[in-house]
Parts: sequence; structure tokens; C-alpha cells
Amino acid sequence: MMMRGLPATLPTLPLELTVLYNSLLFTMEASDSAMEGQEGICQGLLRVLEACGACGQDLSSEELWQKVLQEVTVAELQAPLHQLGALQAAWWLSTGHLGSVTGLLRLLSNAEDLGKAHWSKVENELLSLLKAWRVPAEGDSLPLVQSTRDLKEILCTSAAFLQGLQEFEAGNFPTARSLLQEAAGGFCTRKVLAQIYTCLGCCAQRMGKPQTALQHLKQALQVDFQCLPALSHVAAVYHELGETDVELQALALLYEALEEKPPAAASSSPYFLIRTELLVHTPVLDSLLRHRHPSEVKYLLAQRCLQHGRVADTVEHYLDFLALLQEGLQQQVALDVSSAVPRIPEVFLEAASALEQAERYQDAITVCEEVISRTTGLIPRVLLLEERLGQPECPPPQAGLAGGLLAQKKESLSCLAWRAAGYLHQGWMRGKLGEVKEAVTQFSRCLRELLQVQLYGPGVEPTENLLPEVEVLQKIRLLALIGRGTQFLELGNHKKALLDFQHGLQVSPGDPAAASYLVQALWNLDRKQEAAAQWQKLSQRLPKEDGQQEGQGRPVPLYLVSCLKQAVFPHSDDLARSIQNYLGSTTQDSSS
Amino acid sequence: MAHVGPRVDYLAGFCCPPGGLAAGKPRVLCHDSHIYLSNGSEFLYVYDQEGKVLKAVYRCPDQVWHMELLPQPRQLYILCAHSGIYCVSLEQQSRLMEQTDGDGQEGNCPSGVLPVDSDACIFPDSSLCMFTLLNSFVITLSQAHGKWWMKLHELQGPEQESPLYRQVSEVGFCPGPPPGDEGDGPPSHFLPVLCCASSPGTLGSGEGLWCSGGFVLEEPLFSLLFGIDAAMLESPMILCGFPDGQLFSVPLKALSSSPPVDGCHDVSNQDPPVKILHHLEEPIVFIGALRTERRAAEDAEDEQLFGDAGCDCVVAVGHYGKMVAVKADQREEATVPELREYCLRGPILCAACGSGSRMYYSTHSDISAVDLDWVGDSSDPEDAESSTGVLPPVLSPASLSICSVVALSLSSRASEGESELLALSAKGRLMSCGLCSPEEPDVELTPAEIGRRIKELLSGIGNTSERVSFLKKAVDQKNRALASLNQVMNLSAALLSSQEGQKPIACTVTANWSCLLLRDTVTISCLLENCSEYSLEEGWTLCVQLLASPCALEEESADAATTFTFPIEQLLPGNKRELTLPLGSAADAKLDLPLTISCALYYSLRDILGSGSDSSEALDDFLPDDSPLLSPDREGICLPLSECTIDMLQCLRLESSSPGTDPSPLAPAPPDPVETFLKVSREQTEPKGGKDGEQLPPPGEGNLPPSAASIRVSSELLKTALQISDSEVPLSCATLRWLLAENAGAEALSSGTVTSVRGAAPDGGEVQLLVREVSMNDLSPTGPIQAVEILVESPSLADVSRMHHAVIRRIQALVLEQAAQGSGAPDLRMQCLRQIQANHEALLKEAQTLREQSPHGEEGAAMAEKLLWIYQQLRNPNLVLL
Repeated sequence: MMMRGLPATLPTLPLELTVLYNSLLFTMEASDSAMEGQEGICQGLLRVLEACGACGQDLSSEELWQKVLQEVTVAELQAPLHQLGALQAAWWLSTGHLGSVTGLLRLLSNAEDLGKAHWSKVENELLSLLKAWRVPAEGDSLPLVQSTRDLKEILCTSAAFLQGLQEFEAGNFPTARSLLQEAAGGFCTRKVLAQIYTCLGCCAQRMGKPQTALQHLKQALQVDFQCLPALSHVAAVYHELGETDVELQALALLYEALEEKPPAAASSSPYFLIRTELLVHTPVLDSLLRHRHPSEVKYLLAQRCLQHGRVADTVEHYLDFLALLQEGLQQQVALDVSSAVPRIPEVFLEAASALEQAERYQDAITVCEEVISRTTGLIPRVLLLEERLGQPECPPPQAGLAGGLLAQKKESLSCLAWRAAGYLHQGWMRGKLGEVKEAVTQFSRCLRELLQVQLYGPGVEPTENLLPEVEVLQKIRLLALIGRGTQFLELGNHKKALLDFQHGLQVSPGDPAAASYLVQALWNLDRKQEAAAQWQKLSQRLPKEDGQQEGQGRPVPLYLVSCLKQAVFPHSDDLARSIQNYLGSTTQDSSS
Repeated sequence: MAHVGPRVDYLAGFCCPPGGLAAGKPRVLCHDSHIYLSNGSEFLYVYDQEGKVLKAVYRCPDQVWHMELLPQPRQLYILCAHSGIYCVSLEQQSRLMEQTDGDGQEGNCPSGVLPVDSDACIFPDSSLCMFTLLNSFVITLSQAHGKWWMKLHELQGPEQESPLYRQVSEVGFCPGPPPGDEGDGPPSHFLPVLCCASSPGTLGSGEGLWCSGGFVLEEPLFSLLFGIDAAMLESPMILCGFPDGQLFSVPLKALSSSPPVDGCHDVSNQDPPVKILHHLEEPIVFIGALRTERRAAEDAEDEQLFGDAGCDCVVAVGHYGKMVAVKADQREEATVPELREYCLRGPILCAACGSGSRMYYSTHSDISAVDLDWVGDSSDPEDAESSTGVLPPVLSPASLSICSVVALSLSSRASEGESELLALSAKGRLMSCGLCSPEEPDVELTPAEIGRRIKELLSGIGNTSERVSFLKKAVDQKNRALASLNQVMNLSAALLSSQEGQKPIACTVTANWSCLLLRDTVTISCLLENCSEYSLEEGWTLCVQLLASPCALEEESADAATTFTFPIEQLLPGNKRELTLPLGSAADAKLDLPLTISCALYYSLRDILGSGSDSSEALDDFLPDDSPLLSPDREGICLPLSECTIDMLQCLRLESSSPGTDPSPLAPAPPDPVETFLKVSREQTEPKGGKDGEQLPPPGEGNLPPSAASIRVSSELLKTALQISDSEVPLSCATLRWLLAENAGAEALSSGTVTSVRGAAPDGGEVQLLVREVSMNDLSPTGPIQAVEILVESPSLADVSRMHHAVIRRIQALVLEQAAQGSGAPDLRMQCLRQIQANHEALLKEAQTLREQSPHGEEGAAMAEKLLWIYQQLRNPNLVLL
């Protein structure tokens, strides 16, 4: 590309540099050879120095620029040097060397005899320099593939965008916002503009201005509807606002848009070799503009519906999602960390909950069966667990096979929880179906599974320090005990029921459902005295504990929510009345 | 472990580069009866195993790195270096073949080479490193931006329009830098290894699923290895072994990665879908799976249900011999994947797994089979502790005795009951190796098999004899070396033990005149005589070193030495060998009489080592001129034989016998530089010469007065020393004979009574030697002393000096001998003696002072003349040796 072999001469240098500029534009567009671009620029500068009789070997590119711009004052060379400078700035921007860009622009402006003073401290120096930079007029120079003026505009936008993102990452949202607004006002393609608006939206959202955020995101979608990340951010904002209907609409729209393959982006805007997209690529932007996977969106839809009790939609979405899982490799599932999709067994269990709510018990049982069969053989017969195992929350050193005994144990615990939850669901559903004995069997299986965990360790009491997995297991045990107890009640086996409720209270002292059932069981056993005493204890505790219970514990996994609901004591009013009556009668008896 | 009895058939040979095929890229695939073979070059061969013919040859645009076969529709997918994946439809090709067959042109030979052109390129991507097929999906692995990218593509049916494939998803991950890329040496030539593992539940895993090298993994191993999510998704897994030794698993159903938040992910921090299973710390060359536990008989129904699916052990093999095997271990307390590392003997070039529990791997020297079937003898209480686990604690490889195989494949023709290993050797030979199961009884051999076995045996014998001849040669060479050493030791011992007396090997040196190239020159002949009982064998060299005496005229040539070497072919005991070397011509300028000649025998130890073909030349390099004969830097044995001096008396060419002979054969020798100098200086000093005219006779024009020197020896002394009586020849005559005893031409003297001889010096100058009897009157008070005066005369001062020196040397030796005998000296007139001595001392002193002054110009010339005069005076003492 360079004219090698021939000595550099001043008359031919402008032509040579212009050729270099044009060829480097193409080189740098192919992002792989960006390094060559830097080398090409340095070669050009060395040629300039050579022509002027100076030597610039072993200088860094920054030093080289300094030397060239300070020592070479030939008027004919100014325009080509500015062109090269623009390329250099683009290259440094794309590699994130903002300081170098500023330095270069200072040099270029000094050469133009621009006063330093007239930008305020408040304003960003790089941006002011870029704006103030007087680019040589195009008419003066030889034909260029991309004019320096255009390049300068793109540099302005990119610099503002990049700095905005940097500030965003640093958490300086107001600064980030003003910089991004600056970028939005600049020269760029619709696609990039939409991206900038999306970032603005995210910025506003972080600043706690959801309405502004929505406005920016709407702008983004107006500019470029293919900017689907904006749509998913919209859903997130609505979720934050608690407007489920709109959120679900947005998600549905997003899913639809993702399903149909996007047409090749036929951009109406002029095509430039060097574009903002090429210059701005940072991890923050990538994560802000993360494209959601269709499977992920589908799951989100299902999950939200389940959370908000939209039974019909829930089942539909979950079944869609499960179908999606069963499809061939064409349908990919997002399983990575940032994905909204939880572990697959949990999805199955959630689907079972949804089916249960839709009263499709047989289907739900089948889905649970799948989870149970899959976990067979993965759970150790005995799982010894040190209670404080999870406390330091240390990440497993290696997620591999050999690495991370803790990770392995956690995985075993999770499997155990899923398997037990599968039995639990089956138990409840058998109960719903009236198959009481079957239900008791399932609950017993669930409890037997849970017996495999043996906790040991110095601390016996503190429940706060338990692993979340262990906490879930405790919850399942409680629910299974309550479930089995209710079935025993159905069977009229009040003693066994009482035993289960008592165990339940041991597992989770003061649990209102278990306590209520206990009262009921006692009542049924005609131990009215005890029942009344328990009832009084319960009713004293209830009002204040309600608030506490909500705030304190970790949220229960979504797949257990339906079971929790079922476990709530249904006849509390009746029971309360009977006990009140009994109490009234006893007091009357005692007083009289 | 039972030895696996292999039966090797050579199927075909394929071209290979001079250095042999390198491992890694060559590949052998087998489907139906066709073998698809790539040997790392740009050619790709299809071989029909049944017809035993080469069906087709494809030429790809670049080196073939990898090749996969899709059986339905029959297509070959070929990864070419730096260009991408090409797809060749085999059905089309066979149709082409049929056409040519129909034309009857070609018979069953391939109709030339079919080029794979760029139209066939379906994935033009230069960064592609590896790929694998899974039904209609292509999984590619490429390297870009410092990361590995795994991409999943779905192939579109032929009815679809232009884009032949659709990228479904991709995941990027970066394992550590490949070992080769850390600056040292060329970039790693290892390619990553891809392999597809599916769970038994995967739809149509029986026949619909096609993935060469892929396998179905049993539960619970699949879930244990890849997690419950992958198992519930029923996702096929891609196992990926990298050149840096990391073994990853990626679920194909969840092949997506979130954009990394902090640039490139760390190895330890992979996204959950991409899971690192193990780090082998050496380039992974093979990933496979085995069925280690044979199903019990009652499980046969299950087998019917599930087909032959279900491996229960995954293995990965590293290049340097590390191997890892993973198997589910259903223990009491937990079901865990048991992971065991083994060390095989590397470097491992390739490996293959069959349906059984054996894995075959090839090193440079052999193919070995290892069996991972292992029943932990838990019934044995002693072993119970050591043998926990489900994998054998150690592997015992069984050799198949096939060396340097670079590609292995297990033939799918296993339906015949025995499996067959296809192997491509480094020399490009395709072999098939039948693997009889150890439990199979020996079957009766058919004639064809007998023929084949004989062929194998014959080729084995050929191999062995070649090796034997090579070994024999080496042994012979060593024997010869030992014999030589023995002989050398014997000779050395003989020579060294007889230091005092006569040496068993003698070298006699004599000077002769001979006519060489029409020119008479003095030659030195060395007569090497072997009187020992050992023969001098080849390898010995006679070194003759000529050393000018330090007392030669020119001082600076004192150290000048020339060494001549003569290789001795063989000298049997009692034999002699005469060697002649010219003196005059060879070292005219350098050599001056008298010469000291040392002879030595030299034996180069290098010759023993066998590479002594050009030993004489090497020896000349060894023994540069001027180097002392014995020096430590010579790698050999040096035995000094003799040392002698050759002087003027030996070299004098006598002319007395034929006085009439034309002296012309004495060709004008090059003028002695000393003489020239003297001549010139004398001419210069002639005007001043008057003063010393008394001593120097007036020189005639152009005819220099002969220089002279004289020595007087008392007759008594001579008589006793030479042991001659008065009655015989006169004393003077006897003295002359004695002096010239060592001269080769002195026989003539013995006839008559000759008291003077004239002769020519080696340089051509004339020298006269005259012996006469004189009586010295004034020395002894008891009367005149009878003495013999030896007079040396020559126009050349140098010759006079040389002759004088030679005579003096002899008389010195004689006198010393006599003095040892202790004969009393006669009465002498001491005053006279003292006077003579004082004269001489004065002259010596004058000579010394003159020599100390540095001569300049005319003064110098005068001084030189004076010196000359003094020396002449000194040479004519009136002393007599008594």
C-alpha cells in the first residue's frame, strides 16, 4: 500500500497520503485488520518525516504525531495530515484510547492557531476540541472515499456515545445522560440513533425516572423498530411500574417480533466506510443491547402470567415453552447466567403448577413424573451437609466435574428439592382428584426423599444462615407434612394427622397453616381444651407475625407458590367460630 | 490381558510426503464397504474395500484438515485449510463413474482426479478449525478475535434457494492460549477435537441420528456429566477438546451466550452452558466413549429395546499419553462421576473406540489396545479398599504390533461378528486389521487365510532380516575397532618397553643423491623395519619431521620444521619399507644442513570409529607444519621411533671417482643468499681491503678465493679412536674414510689411498676436503706432535661452514668417546697453548662486540667484513686435538 523503495518527496506526498487515507478507510472497515490501520498511519507519518529530513523511528504513534505536527509546517501537507489525523482519532476511539484522541486533537487545533481558552471547564474537552476542529475543505484535496468532514461528524457522535457509556458504567447517570443526548443530536444512522435512545432510556430508568425512560425507549422504537432490546427494556420498565397488562403486551410483541426473521437491514441512510458502529463497541453496550432469545421471552410471558394468576394464558405459554424445548436444535434455549430462564426442572415444576391451576391434574402429574424420573440416580442416598457450608458464598473454583465439592452438593440439593417438589405436587393433585391413598403415598415419598439430608454442624438454631436450598427443602417438608395431614384428616385418621401437623410445626415453628390444622386435628380428636389453648396462642401471634413473615424470609420458589396457597387452612372462620363457641361455653361453665 | 491377535491386510498405498504423514489431519472413515481417506494433503480418496479398488480421487483447493461423511444423502464434507468447508455429493460422483463405465473407457480405475472447485464451498470461512455433523446440522469451531466460536448451522435442503445453510446460534468462549502460541516455536499444529454425545432419549437416536465419532451416553452418566438441564432438554452435547488440554461440553440446544460483561470470560468462569469437564494439560487428540460393562443376559431384552446404544464411559486422550476416563459410579452414599487419569506411553498419534470396552491408540511404534472393562473384586476383602471405583486402577495395553499409524477408524462392517480396525500408516499405507475377540476359539483356516498368513510371515521375515543385517554390521564394526585397538596396544607396549636397546620397529634415515625430474637432488630415505612380532596395520602413519638445527646459519629458521606423513597400508613382521622424500626441492629455502630428522608412528583413534576413509588428508590437517610432533590436540597415539641428524658429510656428492665427469649435472643451484650478501659486501669493501690483504688473498676478478677451515687432530688420538695400525692405509686416508663413512658414494675411497676429495654440496657449491699429516713442533716440549690436519675449502663460505660443522661434530663425538676412556694427554707447552687461546679469546671478544653493534650502511659492510675475517681466523686455529 505504501510506496516503498521510492524516496519520499514533498511534491508527491499529498498524493501519497491521500491514497493512504483512502486505502486505510477500506482496511479499517474490515475490522479484523484494524491493527494494520495503525501501522499504515505510522508508515505515512514516517514518510512525511523522511521527506522533511527528520527521523522518527522507535517513536510511539503519539510521539510520532507530536513530532510531525510540530515540525512539519509545509502548507500543502496540512490537509492530508488532517485527514490522517481523523483516521487516527477513529482508530484510537475504537480501541478506547480517548486520552490519545484528545492529545492529537489539541495538536491539530494548535496547528490551526485556535485559542485554547474558549471552552468552558464544564464542557467536555474532547467534544469541544472535536467540534472546534476545522477540517480542510474537501474541494482543496484529491477525491476521498469518505470525506473528512463526514468522518469528523462520526467522530463527534462516537466520542459522545462512548463517553456516555463510560459514565453510565461508572454510575454517573446525569453526566452519562447529557453525553448521550449530545450523541443523539449528532450524525449517525437510524440504527445507532435507536441504540443511543435505548441507552438513554436505561439511563433514565436507573435514575428513577420511568416515564422519561419510556419516552426514550419509545423514541428508539420509532427510529428503528428493529431495535428490539428497547422493547424488552420497555417491558422491564412496565414491570417495575407494576403494570402487568402493558408489560405482557410488550413481551408478546417482542416475542412476535423475534419469531419472524428480521429482514435484511436496508438502511436508507448513506453508507459510510467508517461508521459509529465500528467505533463504539463496549461490553456495557453489548449488555444493554442484549437480544433476548425467543425462548426467554416466551418463558417471561409464562412466568408473569403465573405470578399474576392469569390461569388460561399461563398454561398456554408454559405449554408453548415446553414444546419449544422439545423441538429440534433449530429452537435454541437460553440457559446462560443472564438469561431469564431458570433451571429446566423448575420450569417443568412451574408448568405443573400452571396445569394444576387450570385443573389439568393428570397432565400436571405427568410433567412432575418427568422431573422425578430425571432426577433418579442423581441424588445420593445420604447427603451430609454442614450447616454453614453455604455461608461464605464462595464461588466454586471450577464449575467442572472435579471442581467444587460445594457446587456438587448444591446441585445435589437442588435435584433433591426438585424431586421432592415433584412428589409434593403429585400428592396435592392426587388429593384434588380424590385419590386420597395415592396422595398419602406421594407425600410419604416426598418426606422420605427429604430424610436423606442430614444437617450437622455447630449451629443448630439459626435459620438465617441456612443455604437457600436447605430452606426450600424445609418448606417442602412442611408442605408435605401439612398435605399428608390433611389427607389423613380426610381419611378420618386424626391421630396421624395430628402427628404430621406437630412435625410440621417442629420444622417451621409458628407456621399459621400448620398451627391451624393442628387446632383442627385436636378439635376433631375432641381434645377441645388443647385446641382452644393452641388457638389462643395462634390468634395472639397471628396479627404481628403476618407482617414479619412476609418481609423476612426469602421468596419461595415460584413452583411452590401453588402448594403454599393450597396449604392455607381453608376453614379458619368455621373453626374460629366453633372454638369461640366452645370457649364461650367453657367460660360460662366455669363462671357459672 | 490376552494378547489380541491381529490379522493385518494391506489394502492400498497412498502417496505421502517425504517425511511421512504427520498425525492429526489424516483421517479414515468407513461406511458400507467404502473407505474415505484423507492423508493431510489436498487429495481425498474413496476406496472400495470389497472390490479392492480405488474408486475416486478428489483434489481439494488446499490441505484437507477434516472430513465427515453424511450417509443420507451421501455427501462428503471436507474442511480445507484456511478456506472453509466443501461439500461433495458422492451420489453424483458415482453416477459420473457409471457413465464412464458405460463408455467402456476406464474399467474400474478412477477416471482421473476429480477437482473440488470453489462452487462446492458451502462455508467459506478461513478461520474454521474443525467441524462435525449431526444429521442436517453442521457444528463448526473457528477462531477469531482471540476466542473460539462454536456455531450451529442448519443445512437447508437442496430445494431451498441460495443460502445453503442457516446459522442457528453461536457461542464464544476462550480457553487459555494454545500451548504452541506462547511464542516458542511454530503455532500448534494440533486441531481441536469435536465429538457429539447424545442422551438415549434423544429422538431417533437409533438410526436417524448420524454423527461420525459420536456416541450415545447412558443415564445417569449423561446427567452427571452434562447436568440435568441438558438431560431434560434432551440436547445433544458437543464435547470439545482443545490443543491446550481443556475438555469442554456444550449443549447444542442451548448454544447461546450472553455478551460477556467483562470482555473475555475466564476459563474458570464459563457460562453454564459451556462447561469445562476436565483439563488434560496436553493437546487432546481423541474423544470417544466405551461400553465397559457387558450387559447381563437378562438385560438382552433391554438391548433389543434400546438397540446397541449406550456407552457408559467417556474417554479423552492427550497427545503425550495422558488419558482420562469418566464413568458413573453408583456408590452407597452417592452416584458420582468417577474420573480417573491414566498415563499411556505417548506420543499418541490417534485413537479409536469400538462398541466394546477397548480403546485402540497408536504411537510411533505400535498400536495398543486398552480395556476399561473392570470388575472391582469387592468380594475380596483385601482388595476392597484399593479397588474402590468402577474403573480399572491401571491399564495394561496390549500390543497389536503395527507401527506408526496416523489415523485409525473402526470399521462399520462389524456385522460379520468381528470388528476391524482401519489404519493409515505414516508411509501412506492403508491397512485393515482384524481384531479377533480373545474369547473366540481359533477357527479352521481357509486356504485364502493361510495364504495371507504366509504372506504376513514372509514380510515379517523380510523385516527381521533387514534388521539383523543392520545389527550385524554394527557388531562387525565394533569388532574391527576392538581388534585395531588391541594391535595398537601391543605395538605401543613393545615399543615403550624396549626404550634402551634396539627398538623392535626401527627407522633408519640415510641421505642420497638421486635424479628427480632431470635434476639431481638430495633425498632422504627412511627405512622402516618391523622387527616386532606384530604387523603394522592400516591406520598407522609414519611421520617424519625435518627440523633445521638451531645451529644453522640463519637464526630465524631455527624452529622451522616440516612434517611428512606416510600412511602405512600394512607392514608384516620382518618386512621393511623404504620411503624417500626429496630434500632439495621440497624445502629449498627452509631446510638447511644439518637437519634433525625425527621419525614417529602415529595412530589416529578416529579411524577406529570407522570414519577414517580419508585419514591421510585429515592427518595433514592434524599435523600442520611447524607443530611439534607430539601435541595433546591430536586425537591419537604417537610413538617416537628415532632421531638422527643429516649433515654435509652425508650429503656431499663426491666426484673423485670420475674426475672427468662433466660437472654440468650440478645444475647451477640458486645462489645462497648469504653468499650473495657476502659477495656484494666484499665488492663494496674492496677499496678498503688493503689493510687485511695479508689474511685475505687478493681476489681475482670474478673468482672468489676459496674459504677455508682447518682442524687438527693428533694422530695418536685418531689412531686409537679409529683403531688403525701403521701398516695399513695411511692415517690421512683412513681419516677421510672415517669422515665419509656415512656418505653413500664413499665406496670409491676404500679402494685406493685417497687423501682428498672434491664434491658438490646439495646446493651445488663445490667443496674440497683434504686430509694431511702434519707435525706440530712448538707445542710440546717433548718434541713434535704428529697430527692430522683436515682442511675444508670451498668458494662458498656457507658450504665451508657446513662442512666444518659436520667435521667438528664427528670429531667432537670421537673426542668425547676417547675422553671417557681416559687416555692421558701428552706433555704440552702450555705457554704456546695459552698464547693461542688468548688469541682466540681476543678474536671472540672482538666478534662479540662487532655483533652487538648494529651495522649501518658502509660501516656495517666494513664490520661484516671484519667479522668474516675473524670467523675465518677462528676456523683456522693452530690448535690440535690431542
